[in-house]
Amino acid sequence: MPGMNSGLNLGNPLLIAAFRSALLHQGIAALVILGVLALAWVSVREWRPAARGAGSAAGVAPDAEPSWRLLLRVGFGIIWIFDGLLQAQPSMVVGLPSRIIEPTAASSPAWVQHVVNWAGTAWSYHPVQAAAAAVWIQVGIGCWLLAARRGRWSQLAGLASVGWGLTVWVFGEAFGGIFAPGLTWLFGAPGAALLYAAAGGLIAMPRRYWHARWLGRGMLAVLGLFFAGMAVLQAWPGRGFWQGHLGHQAGTLTGMVQSMAQTPQPGFLAAWVRGFGSFTAAHGFGVNLFAVIALALIGAALLSGRPALIRPTVIVMVLLCLADWVLIEDMGIFGGLGTDPNSMIPIALLVIAGYLALAPAPARAVAPDTVAVADTVAAADTVTVADTVTVASGAEPAAPAPGWRRRLSPGRLAAAFGSADARTVAAAWALAVTIIGVFPLAAAAASRSASTQIAQAIDGSAVALNYQAPGFRLTDQAGQPVSLAGLRGKVVLLTFLDPVCTSDCPLIAQEFRAADQLLGASRRNVELVAIAANPVYHAVADTRAFDQQEGLAGVPNWRFLTGPLPALRQVWHNYYVAAELAPAGGMVLHTDVAYVIDAAGHTRTELNFDPGPGTAASKSSFAAELTDAALKAMGRS
Amino acid sequence: MTIPRPSRVTLPAAALAAMLAAGCGSTVAGTGVPAAGRTHVRLPLVTSLTVPGMASWAIVDMGGSSAAYENFWQLITRRAGTARWTLATPPGVADNGGLVAASLGGAALVTGVDPSQDLRFSPLATTRDSGAHWTPGLLPAGLASVPSALAAGTGGRLLALTDRGLAEMSAPGGASWARLTSLASLAATPAGRSCGLRSLTAAAFTPSGMPLLAGQCASRGVTGIFAYSGGGWRRAGPALPAALAQRRVSVLQLSTAGHRTIALLTAAAPGGAVSLIAAWANPGGRWALSAPLPLNGARVVSTAADPGAAARTTSTGTTSTGTTAAAAGTGTTSTGTTAAATGTAGAGQAAIPAASTVGVILSTGLADTIAGPASPWRQLPALPAHAAALVLGPGPLISALAAHGSVLTGWRLAAPAGSRAVAWTRTQVMKVPVPYGSSS
Repeated sequence: MPGMNSGLNLGNPLLIAAFRSALLHQGIAALVILGVLALAWVSVREWRPAARGAGSAAGVAPDAEPSWRLLLRVGFGIIWIFDGLLQAQPSMVVGLPSRIIEPTAASSPAWVQHVVNWAGTAWSYHPVQAAAAAVWIQVGIGCWLLAARRGRWSQLAGLASVGWGLTVWVFGEAFGGIFAPGLTWLFGAPGAALLYAAAGGLIAMPRRYWHARWLGRGMLAVLGLFFAGMAVLQAWPGRGFWQGHLGHQAGTLTGMVQSMAQTPQPGFLAAWVRGFGSFTAAHGFGVNLFAVIALALIGAALLSGRPALIRPTVIVMVLLCLADWVLIEDMGIFGGLGTDPNSMIPIALLVIAGYLALAPAPARAVAPDTVAVADTVAAADTVTVADTVTVASGAEPAAPAPGWRRRLSPGRLAAAFGSADARTVAAAWALAVTIIGVFPLAAAAASRSASTQIAQAIDGSAVALNYQAPGFRLTDQAGQPVSLAGLRGKVVLLTFLDPVCTSDCPLIAQEFRAADQLLGASRRNVELVAIAANPVYHAVADTRAFDQQEGLAGVPNWRFLTGPLPALRQVWHNYYVAAELAPAGGMVLHTDVAYVIDAAGHTRTELNFDPGPGTAASKSSFAAELTDAALKAMGRS
Repeated sequence: MTIPRPSRVTLPAAALAAMLAAGCGSTVAGTGVPAAGRTHVRLPLVTSLTVPGMASWAIVDMGGSSAAYENFWQLITRRAGTARWTLATPPGVADNGGLVAASLGGAALVTGVDPSQDLRFSPLATTRDSGAHWTPGLLPAGLASVPSALAAGTGGRLLALTDRGLAEMSAPGGASWARLTSLASLAATPAGRSCGLRSLTAAAFTPSGMPLLAGQCASRGVTGIFAYSGGGWRRAGPALPAALAQRRVSVLQLSTAGHRTIALLTAAAPGGAVSLIAAWANPGGRWALSAPLPLNGARVVSTAADPGAAARTTSTGTTSTGTTAAAAGTGTTSTGTTAAATGTAGAGQAAIPAASTVGVILSTGLADTIAGPASPWRQLPALPAHAAALVLGPGPLISALAAHGSVLTGWRLAAPAGSRAVAWTRTQVMKVPVPYGSSS
């Protein structure tokens, strides 16, 4: 898939250092926000004791959170935080698009790959920002779920889980692989992130549904249908699951298990997985038969809705999930590129939650319903002490709520903030942490060009210079004489290209062209100049053919200069460019370099311009680096 | 008898895009002009040409994997009167995509580089001193991946097939190029329609300087060779005998040798069996065909030509006139082709065969040569390991070049002293400075 692979090494030290630095700075920002929030909260409560009192006075306990919701909220909260920490592995910066996203989508239809490619490319363009964002978004959502127990804050946390879960499911898991061949529950269908989204949706349900009689049955019915469907899929012939091995090749399940055993992981775990792989190779039919029967029975039991059946089924289900998690999914967290503990834990949580939701609702307290202040700190719903509505049987009707302007008055906001409980403050902090991830990611995605960090990771940083650029007088592609002195008054971006080069030079030319586009209106103050760097093929016809090939013929400020060989050699010498013939059919070996010469004719920057892997991300990054250098030379950085 | 002085001789680069690296292509027929936008290299066949009294030239692929752009095509030359091969690859451009060449007569040769990776046009280079010095040139388009993609005519005019299905012709000296025709235009002519032209696979000039184009026909029993004269195209290929009337014919290679034009054809039967046929045309345009050589599933991976031998062979009238020689194929075919197919002849022959004009190396590792239309195909003794190119001439001399990595080994087929049986004798080992890694 084009664009997704930055072509960089997983362990690129510059990018890893930048990633760690970004995490550190953003972590400090998160701590500062926590400190500020905590300080402000404590301060307001000290200055306005009434606010503190309002919080406690309002305090007739609201409906208790049902156990199923508690399980989902805490369970998935912890999982999100864990996933966020996994995302902080150094190899994620470069490795996520090329080693995880791309292979996941590789066997999916072209339209899925197209969708996935968009996100993968965006990540490749801004790997550090994207990787750091993923950490904070997931940690933030996890903390938010844990902190916000009920009310709108909690619902919003659930919705955030839905949103980010679906985002990861589509772009990171290629729709959970449901459009690719080989779909099986054993390998994680329908995709862990979809389960996160489902849990988030359940958490986001309004309180009135918490104890609905149909909720538990509905959850288990959906899960039962899912397992029944997976049983059918598992039993389907011709998919390689019934055979432990196909001739000399491993069967589908055996192959998966054996490949998981190769992942770097603790030795004992690898031994278990390898052992299971051998067992599956020898008894493929039996293993698959067991899986089919188990899934079918579990599905049937869950669909029945009969508690007597469901309880043992849940236990069996959990055990089966754990076994699959260890022996087939290999826990999903090892190898340096594990993004989550795969699907078995989430699905086990959902099954258990469905079972718990079958339990009858607790008897309601006779005490009056109260809208707890702690539930309404959100700006649109700010409720001050004065606005606390206590409704009891026969009580007087409340006064009409104040308008939104009054609600947003500083006094009311401060009072509301002061009356919030600690959990709410924690939830607000978690939202801030999530935003620390979202905003930079959105800004990066909106950027036209890739981060210059990629170019620097490939070739190092630009070198700042300040000396008079050596002059030259050569002929452009139109046969017209051009001299450096004649370009005075404009910034010159200068490079050296072999007109018959097969690899680097076309890439460099495209990077120059992209830089010209990024310059926008400033391009009228810039000349893009290339000088031929081939001692054999340096005729004007050659430069013209190159321009046609690269679509540069119509670029008004592009000049490909050449001249007699002695003149070219002098220019190469002056600019420290080597251009040597290689023997036996090799390309001319020449220096890949770019110079930025300011309007006064001073060389300001030298860039090592070896284009590296030539991916979309690296090309864009080099173009951005060149643009930045040009703007700096214009005094407009 | 006078031996006609060879004028312009095109280097017979075999026209089967064998896709050696990919291992694809079960037919011998040329695959025509590939689509623009190259990914992996599709190499033309290895070729060789002997210019009598001047030099022998061979083009071989050396180095590593073409998929990784670690292969580099080399031009090897051996001057007349010497036994040593020397490296003469034109400098200044990466030739991972392939190399084609056409003789300009005498010691002059023009080469073209097939584009690879991000290069989309073909640099040219011309030598007038057997490769000691080169003058650069340019075709502002990519050469097709077929061995007869470049041809040289009178006054230094060049004819090129491009990877976009065009035929371009240059002014004398190769200075400027203009479009001669395209696949679509030629296919739309009456001549093209009668052939059902599918693709263009070869270019050449007749001895009198007329442009010739050849390709693959969809119609059975028709040879797709066309000559341009009087502003139009006419069919100029051999008529096939009745025995070949149901076969689809492709032109692998087309070259002008002395006053003769040599064509190498494949004829595919409806059942899939493919045979190789050599054809010679006299200055009047009358063709003589060889007996078919059944390929039995093999592909032609290398061709060789000795135009001097062809000139001598044909000028002595050993071929029949016109297409009658094809009838000889039905008589002598069984002998010649059976020998070639079963390998029972050739190996252990008592004497070195008469001068061959055309030779091929097949994907089975066997090599066959033929002197002329009245001659049978002769199978040579088993080739040395890694043999890539066969070189015919001068005279009855048969050489082979084996390429393995960066080592080129020269072999000669001769009868050792005291023996009547011919065998391959190593004559030279050359270390070629393949520039690994320079293109990736």
